[in-house]
Amino acid sequence: MPRSIWNGTISFGLAYVPVKLYSATESKTVRFHEVHVSDGAKIEHKRICSKEDKEVPFKEVVKGYEISPGEYVVLEKDEIKAAAGARGKVIEIEDFVPGGEIDPIFFEKTYYVGCRDDAEAYLVFRAALERTGRVGIGRFTFHDREYLAALRSLDGVLALHTMRFHDEIVEADDLEAGKPGKGPSKREVEMAGQLVKSLHRKFDPTEYEDTYREAVLDLIQRKAKGEDLGPAEPEPEEEPTDLTAALQASLGKGS
Amino acid sequence: MPRTLWNGSLSFGLVNVPVSLTSAARDLDLHFRQLHGKDGAPIEQRRFCSKEDVEVQWEEVARGFDLDGKQVILTDAELASVQPRKTRTIDIEAFVDIEEVDPIYFDHPWYLLPFGESEGTLRAYQLLVKVMESTDRAALGRFVMRTKEYLVLVRPRGGLLSLTTMLFHDEVRPADGIAPGGRKPAKKKVDQAVAVIEALSVDWDPERYTDCYRERLTRVVKAKQEGETVKAPSEPKQPKPAPDLMAALEETLAGMKSGGGKGATRKRKATAR
Repeated sequence: MPRSIWNGTISFGLAYVPVKLYSATESKTVRFHEVHVSDGAKIEHKRICSKEDKEVPFKEVVKGYEISPGEYVVLEKDEIKAAAGARGKVIEIEDFVPGGEIDPIFFEKTYYVGCRDDAEAYLVFRAALERTGRVGIGRFTFHDREYLAALRSLDGVLALHTMRFHDEIVEADDLEAGKPGKGPSKREVEMAGQLVKSLHRKFDPTEYEDTYREAVLDLIQRKAKGEDLGPAEPEPEEEPTDLTAALQASLGKGS
Repeated sequence: MPRTLWNGSLSFGLVNVPVSLTSAARDLDLHFRQLHGKDGAPIEQRRFCSKEDVEVQWEEVARGFDLDGKQVILTDAELASVQPRKTRTIDIEAFVDIEEVDPIYFDHPWYLLPFGESEGTLRAYQLLVKVMESTDRAALGRFVMRTKEYLVLVRPRGGLLSLTTMLFHDEVRPADGIAPGGRKPAKKKVDQAVAVIEALSVDWDPERYTDCYRERLTRVVKAKQEGETVKAPSEPKQPKPAPDLMAALEETLAGMKSGGGKGATRKRKATAR
């Protein structure tokens, strides 16, 4: 079992559920470090004062907020902490909403919620969320900042998603996209519909592996053996095609 | 117009639609710059060679990987030779029912916009929007952005195509051992909790929730700018769990019914914005 990253209490109404948070996700991306090409030595990042051109020890670093170009308001760590709020170690649920109504575009990062001490309160709360299909919306403070969070029942456990605020979501109206002079024809829509149908699958995440990750690891192995990696194979340029013809060919009806 | 982070094509059967990728989330956080306390000058992060102790320019930096204690160095060109098609094309592999995809896989939201003004591109883009709108299905594909492969879900949103980068199944941890074992909770208690949940239920309206942290931090910056000092709050205490869950649930419901007292109603008024 992984280590918990936050201990606290969920409150809804006058009831409290003592909980722990665990990361539900972990990146498996191949990580590189920076090296100096000429001698293979690791690169270090140093903090340099732009005025004195000298290295600055961490304890001399302060945080500045730029109010106009080149003009900063300096904030102490405690002052930034003050903005985190006095919520303490509580996830205070403000509302319950029907789970299906939330566009997942709002969800940011997922955590599993485990129980601390009081298993009964946890089990009751989880069972009630599952039965109602509702999601609890609340706020909590984590690493000196306040987050909006959604709590729901997921496969027998409680899961917490940190959430974006509504003004952080870009709506389609905020963007400009060209419209075609003439929309797709009825026939094209029908053919595309057939293609969608033929590619319809039940979602099974294990069917999709990160093959790029494996290919990068393979490249590293080959380089380590001293293989000449050579340039990438050129790929055929794709010709722009007629939409109807492309759909037809995709459906295997093309000649 | 927001900036484009990736250009490529969305490939559906033999139909190719040139697209560009732009974020569907805007960063409204207040960002701070590191300054040197003594003279208020901005601090720059510069790269130094750990062997020579001289500054290194970005062009002289390569990627190192520690392979069983041996360092392997890859250049950008070598890395670019890996599956180049994936860095330029999002291949749609399947269509799935949206509700089958749990948001636990979701990473970051984006929009795909048609790239260029050609009639063929715009029409093919429209076709994809239309066909997915009419079926409630979303497209699954894969592509590589900034040397990382993503599983992606493409679906219509407001007449455009939205794209969500997703995690791979092995990047989602199993939930084993997270929930406590033990007996099924008593039905009566779950009934009470359900009653409390129902009573606190509202429709989902994202505008009910504003970022108080951002608002407070903005106020702190303003106060500081005007020469005030700002005090940090004292460490808050963990609340003590109610000794009797059932009593707490009943009291909450009673408080809500009577419309006053120390039940949840007053609390909701206090937090409503």
